[in-house]
Amino acid sequence: MRLLTHNMLSSNIKGVTNGFPLRIEAEKVVEKTVEMNADFLKKMFEKIQWKAFIDASRAMGYTELPEEVDPTTLESDEFLSKFHHALLELHLEEGALVCPETGRRFPVNKGIPNMLLHEDEV
Amino acid sequence: MKNMNAEVASSLYTFSSNAEPGSIDSVSGSENSYTSSVSVKSTPEIEKKYVHNVYDAIAPHFSSTRFAKWPKVASFLSSLPAGSLILDAGCGNGKYLGFNRDCFFIGCDISPPLIKICADRGHEVLVADAVNLPYRTDFGDAAMSIAVLHHLSTENRRRKAIEELVRVVKRGGFVLITVWAVEQEDKSLISKWTPLAERYVEEWIGPGSPRARSPSSITLESIPECELSGSGEQLEVSQEHSTEDIQETPDLTNQNQNVLDVEDDKNMNNKQEYFVPWHLPYHRAEISGASAHALATGLATKDDKKGAVVYNRYYHVFREGELERLISGINNAKVVERFYDKSNWCIILEKTL
Repeated sequence: MRLLTHNMLSSNIKGVTNGFPLRIEAEKVVEKTVEMNADFLKKMFEKIQWKAFIDASRAMGYTELPEEVDPTTLESDEFLSKFHHALLELHLEEGALVCPETGRRFPVNKGIPNMLLHEDEV
Repeated sequence: MKNMNAEVASSLYTFSSNAEPGSIDSVSGSENSYTSSVSVKSTPEIEKKYVHNVYDAIAPHFSSTRFAKWPKVASFLSSLPAGSLILDAGCGNGKYLGFNRDCFFIGCDISPPLIKICADRGHEVLVADAVNLPYRTDFGDAAMSIAVLHHLSTENRRRKAIEELVRVVKRGGFVLITVWAVEQEDKSLISKWTPLAERYVEEWIGPGSPRARSPSSITLESIPECELSGSGEQLEVSQEHSTEDIQETPDLTNQNQNVLDVEDDKNMNNKQEYFVPWHLPYHRAEISGASAHALATGLATKDDKKGAVVYNRYYHVFREGELERLISGINNAKVVERFYDKSNWCIILEKTL
């Protein structure tokens, strides 16, 4: 699971008011290089909730991202590279995503989150 | 914009403890009713048995047959702007993931074996339910649901899945939906399908039910098919606490045999509910291992002549206009294109608000 995906995931358990963001418990993180596309990054930047993204990247062991960002931050190539790395090249292979309200753990195995709910959570 | 629909469904029929399968002992008003609250997001038994379990068992074989890209889906994907984030809900073996190289795809499916096939191919995927997408609202640029909604067994679930697709895309985002049509181009294909009514009889009288399976148990030919199918569903349904379709029955005081004769688009007596066979070759069945259990529980049968384990997949095939009707209740999406393509009804929506 990449952090781009994580920034979109939300706990949809019955009764939960705000299931975003899920807290990451990282047991195994893998890096896989992929070609950078600045236009794509700029589009995704507009969608990303930054606080959740930076917290998630730290949970994955990456601490290079700046706390504060604004549209001008995108002009820096150095930033773009770091953003690209955190967004698309870090993979959570093993671990869990934890619902912020209920503490329910959604397992991540072999890079695949399982977000299916149990009968009583629906 | 999270809808947690608790569907309050009341069954308006009571069953005495020795009610015969296929018959209704008494029809009574709601004061005697068996009432349950079931979320539209709760998976009905028929889908667990005849959709989820089947795809889990046949995943690699199924995947090997799913490679051709439909031109209309391909052109929809190619038309999306570069850098789009595309959400494929019910992505199956990931056939379309990555199709547009300038876009980023995230796929989800309810079948872990199918998702594993996608992941092995390097796609970004997760296991999730199309009726309850674990995605934030307004995030995606486009969404797709290719041959998925026809596996949902109630109108409310089908509508819910469409609402989810609309919810997860941004304002101005597009959604493509394709479903199998009642109006099949190759009519001989339908003859290979089992209409739900007959099959439900076997299901009720099959292993694990109060009655042993025997030919004489099937004494229902005198009961009109519409009631048989409906009552079959009710009895199954009373076990599963899901009575949404019964809730929609209009005339509650009508005690004659046609109480289940609801409006065309909502019930099983309208030739839209089918079991469609899947033949899993023996050598593939052995590899999957799930078939031994399926055969033992009667969910699959053997066809020695074809050397295959035969599974049944549940389908609600769509009539012309049915997709539009489902969408008419959704006030933040409009239809931008509708078409029929190779025995599928297809629709493209745009999220307006």
